[in-house]
Amino acid sequence: MSERRTGDRAADAGDTALETLGRSSGPASLILSSLADGAKHGYALTKDIESFAGIRLAPGTLYEALSRLEANGMIEAVESHDRRRPYRLTATGAAALSTYLDAQRKVAEVGLRRLAGGWALT
Amino acid sequence: MTPGRAPSAPGPAPAERARARRLLLWYPKAWRSRYGDEFTELLIDERAELGPSWRRTVNVAATGLRARLASAGMAAHPVDPQAAARAGLAAMTCCAAAVIMTGGVMWSQLAIGLQWSVPEDGRITQSLDLMSAALLVIAAAAVLAAAPVAWAAFTAAIRGNGRRLRVPAALVAAGTSVLVIGGRHFENAWPGTGGHLLVQQGLVPGGVAAFGWAATMWITSYWAHPAALAAFPPSQLAWMVLSPAAAGGLLTGIAQMLRRVQMSPRAFRYETRVGLLALAGLAAFLAGALCWLFAAGGPAPLPQPGTIDLAGLAVLTVAVVAGAAAAHRAGAAAAKLKRAAPGGP
Repeated sequence: MSERRTGDRAADAGDTALETLGRSSGPASLILSSLADGAKHGYALTKDIESFAGIRLAPGTLYEALSRLEANGMIEAVESHDRRRPYRLTATGAAALSTYLDAQRKVAEVGLRRLAGGWALT
Repeated sequence: MTPGRAPSAPGPAPAERARARRLLLWYPKAWRSRYGDEFTELLIDERAELGPSWRRTVNVAATGLRARLASAGMAAHPVDPQAAARAGLAAMTCCAAAVIMTGGVMWSQLAIGLQWSVPEDGRITQSLDLMSAALLVIAAAAVLAAAPVAWAAFTAAIRGNGRRLRVPAALVAAGTSVLVIGGRHFENAWPGTGGHLLVQQGLVPGGVAAFGWAATMWITSYWAHPAALAAFPPSQLAWMVLSPAAAGGLLTGIAQMLRRVQMSPRAFRYETRVGLLALAGLAAFLAGALCWLFAAGGPAPLPQPGTIDLAGLAVLTVAVVAGAAAAHRAGAAAAKLKRAAPGGP
């Protein structure tokens, strides 16, 4: 019984991980990073991501990721009178982004350290 | 309020908006009603900044088709786990129907053929036995799956909430009635199915096989031979047009019912488990059909697989693979629903 409960909790936690978004996990991390400093609508997200990551997300790719993030409770739509609906980060999204970026930072640190060591030997 | 104001202000030309709206048609209706307006604005802004782009069009088409697959239960559903579970179950039902219809053609003709000529190769009769057992499993799964859906529809009707279920219920009733009445009538219209000419010789195959043959009469290579088809009695030709329409209506009604009826997360879990049972039946039927294909490859007199049987095998394979994908999606969505339900684990 306790094993089952543990497994279910793990599944619950897994639902809030960016990796569960499949092909959208890459765009999702960019979107969450962009929303970390405030709400933005689709076009504003595209421009912001292009400015800090050098990647221009295509409209379909952007909204595929947005819809998945919203379904997973990581972002939420903001009420707006404009047709361009802004989105903002939720607490769940902030936690998921933090976990994801921590893992990426560890990978980057290990990779850079080993790369530096390898170059030093040659 | 938000950075990155679009370059299209003060307002795009109507032609620009119409062009963006046309691209939206790649997406399913539910997606368009949720994201359509804002996505249209994004497309207009993108085009205003970057000009026309075939890459953008391809991207929208590809993601739109993926959204359509998701809404049909064939891909991860981004919007709602309950909609995903419903779509997965409906897709699973469609796959099972494809197997029952194409497999029914093979099974009924093989069963009828064995009444006339018992093959020397025992593997052919074993293949038929496996296909028969698989059809029984599929039929049992259909009954088990239909019971809670029918009960939920019945209780909804009693409580006065059954308005949305009227059309699907009517389609199911009409499709079933036409198939049963027509199938029963035409199962005795051809001597090979146990027609009246041969009853006294004991060559009457099982009524189920004869019914299966009659109900799937429209799946035939005769459509490629209009001259031969013209010799058919008009009533039979009419049946060959009416029966697929009835089967389509029945299937549409079941799929609509699954998408509209209110069920608890527990009921969804039950349905997905029954779906796995049906999937096992579909796989067993495919295995039986493949065994027949390989066993009947020699010089045995009857029954030999024809081109239409090979096409049927291709349909069966696609249906089983698609059914497995749909069952997996439905199961994942049902598990998510259960976890999200109050009092869930």
